[in-house]
Amino acid sequence: MSAVAAAPFAVERGTAGRLRVAVAPIAGLRTVVALLALEAGQWSEPVGRPGVARLTALSLLRGTAERDAAVWAAALDDLGAVARIDVGADIASMSGQALAEDLRAYLELAAEAVLRPAFAPDQIELVRAESIAALEEDSKNTRGVADRLWREIAYPALHPFRGRPLGDEDVVRTATAESLRAFHRQEILGRGGILVLVGGVDVAEALDTAAAAFGEWPRETVPERRSVPETAIAATVRRAEVVPDKTQSDVILGWLGLPRTDPRFVAARVTNMVFAADTFASRAGKVVRDKLGLAYYLFSRIGAAKGQAPWMLRMGVNPRNVERAIEATLAELRVVLAGDFAPEDVQLAQDKLVGELQVALESPGGIAQMILEAELFDLGPDHFVRYPEQLRAVTKEQVVETARTFLPADRYALAIAGPPL
Amino acid sequence: MTTAVLPPRLSDAPATRRLDNGLVVYALGARHAPVVSIWVWYHVGGRNEVPGTTGMSHFLEHMLFKGTPEHPKGDLDRLLARYGATWNAFTSEDWTTYFETVPAERYPTALELEADRMTNALISVEETEAERTVIVSEREGNENDPSFLLGEELAAVAFSRHPYGQGVIGSKEEIQLMPRDGLYAHYRRFYSPSNALVVLVGNEEKDALLDAAAAAFGDLPAGEPAPPVRAPEPPQHGEKRLVVRRAGGAVPIVQIAFKSVRASNASAPALQALAVALAGASGGAQEAASGRSSRLYRALVATGLATEVEAGSDLKKDPHLFTIEATVRPQGDHRAVETRIIEELERIAQEPMADEEFARVRKGLLAATAFSTDTVTWRAFRLGHLLASGAASSIGEWYDRLAAVTAEDIRAAARSTFVELGRTVGWFVPVA
Repeated sequence: MSAVAAAPFAVERGTAGRLRVAVAPIAGLRTVVALLALEAGQWSEPVGRPGVARLTALSLLRGTAERDAAVWAAALDDLGAVARIDVGADIASMSGQALAEDLRAYLELAAEAVLRPAFAPDQIELVRAESIAALEEDSKNTRGVADRLWREIAYPALHPFRGRPLGDEDVVRTATAESLRAFHRQEILGRGGILVLVGGVDVAEALDTAAAAFGEWPRETVPERRSVPETAIAATVRRAEVVPDKTQSDVILGWLGLPRTDPRFVAARVTNMVFAADTFASRAGKVVRDKLGLAYYLFSRIGAAKGQAPWMLRMGVNPRNVERAIEATLAELRVVLAGDFAPEDVQLAQDKLVGELQVALESPGGIAQMILEAELFDLGPDHFVRYPEQLRAVTKEQVVETARTFLPADRYALAIAGPPL
Repeated sequence: MTTAVLPPRLSDAPATRRLDNGLVVYALGARHAPVVSIWVWYHVGGRNEVPGTTGMSHFLEHMLFKGTPEHPKGDLDRLLARYGATWNAFTSEDWTTYFETVPAERYPTALELEADRMTNALISVEETEAERTVIVSEREGNENDPSFLLGEELAAVAFSRHPYGQGVIGSKEEIQLMPRDGLYAHYRRFYSPSNALVVLVGNEEKDALLDAAAAAFGDLPAGEPAPPVRAPEPPQHGEKRLVVRRAGGAVPIVQIAFKSVRASNASAPALQALAVALAGASGGAQEAASGRSSRLYRALVATGLATEVEAGSDLKKDPHLFTIEATVRPQGDHRAVETRIIEELERIAQEPMADEEFARVRKGLLAATAFSTDTVTWRAFRLGHLLASGAASSIGEWYDRLAAVTAEDIRAAARSTFVELGRTVGWFVPVA
């Protein structure tokens, strides 16, 4: 167990089976957030089988060796607890919240689900049917279509991020129970993960409780980490798809990002804020929404992942204004690339990013996400002290250099979904 | 097996001060984080609009970010961004609210910004025109969602007289025609201390929060209280039905709404419990495991008839709706889903609820209040929403009312609400 000094909150660490456990007690809270990150996201999927991670993850919450799906669900509802599971680039994230007094019972249920899922045939078919419905729904959703198109033109075949976590319909239709069991055995039991507990808990009790719940982790072999060659967008690629009977186009303008562990990642976050992260504080949002009135929303996100996750700018625009909005956005990007902006833009971005760290302390979920990022990418026990300093240390020159390296104005992927243009 | 543990009641009652200009300020502690959340609530929303001006309150909300003489356009955004603040605004049928969650040392500045725009917003012709297309864009984004399209039509059919049937964002045509002078008149009529309340929650002494609010807002002119809305909804005398057929959706949807009660009604807490019994406390997305023991989940989703189901009754000033929405599986049968929902509603209205189920519902209901209010921003929202809707005067009082609900109260609420005469049924039918 080790404590971090001078951080905005105390984090104590321990282990439970193949989980690294981090606990941050917050006095005065009645609840506890339990964020369980299993290293079984898109990166871990079998090559060419996008969707397996999500099918497996959803199946975890569908009954265990001890309790069938209905009994497990009733036990969760007996606690009044909430739990959901989402699949991302690196992890399947089971996020829950329970009353502090119910932490032991909640973790027992979570451990059953993660360590001893039943994969009952009827429940797998239910998950499959729901996933097919979600894919159909997504096929008429302009955001979903734009996301699919963008990934198809940005990533090469068989890249883990070419597909969406929702997966390909063919994979969802054909995945066998045995393939889900194998993924669970190899990737979830084999790799383990990270458990973050934040809220009204006693540290020693929380660590003991986690150890009791997850301590008897099956001894599966740790699999090799998938090796994916670095890739690049060689030229500007554009693809549009008509989604019938819609009034607004969804536009994604994007590039390939950089791993969270790359030393340039902090500068990339500042660059992202200067360019387009925030509708009001960033250059592109101020022009496209505030000055030109072309979009209700415009924002960009840089994914924190172990590989090249998307660095995407999204906006919702009337089809008549799509070209103008794209051009205005690219014009702001060229300003950043040319370094033709005031140092105050960098200062504003840094102030916002540092200030957000303090405001995020209002929520146990916000604190848990910060801790998870630090643990997942091994950012070090003093990360919370160093991170604001790292943000402050980014210079205008680094912002320009980062943009030139990762956001070239002549090499990007552009996806548009909505009414005919 | 059920557990006896219930979340502790949030016992910290808000401190209250009524300023001479009529503004009422509420302050509540939240000592776990170095932030303060400020919410200013105006009693104006879709209910204060008439045909021809629908969407005016929402349009005005956007214009409150366009500057004052003291803080020109961009000032507020820049200042709050610099603090790392979370800030936004929402408009509903009943109210419009603006909030900032800021580092604790910055809250006096946020209060000053709110006090300034309560009476000094510019609302220029040029900015009105620039924002008009943004609001149309917001509306068009909503129109891409089949659930929004059906819900908007369903409200319009369910309410024959009350402005709740007009929704909030307004029709695209009326947004395009919205006159700047009309917006300014709406602002002058409804934005004043006597038609607002302020909620502050955070890491500060309650008296200090009240003092800071009094210093910021105390010198503003009182203004006139908003005139009451005089458009009561007449009784409904039979089921209403509608169908929306559009290509813009892949899956069928069924929405069923029943005329319900206002937030201050004695049975409002029982309706919240009823919603939990029917569909759980936290929504029905596929990724969520909570709420799967609920009646409609077991009847519709676990059987494969639908892929998601939700139920709820908003806390509103005037009698509103209790709504159930089910996403039917692709190529599924609207009629079968509707029939199954009605069967379950009749069952919960007729049969006594078992002790085990009631304990589960009660736990879910009360735990949900603790989950949201452990975050400062949502603790402040919760208090403000209860106050603005007339549901309760504190989070603790609302907790007590929820905790006092009995199984028989739930059955009685179901029996009085789920009647065919007050029912409106909507289907969204995807077309190729």
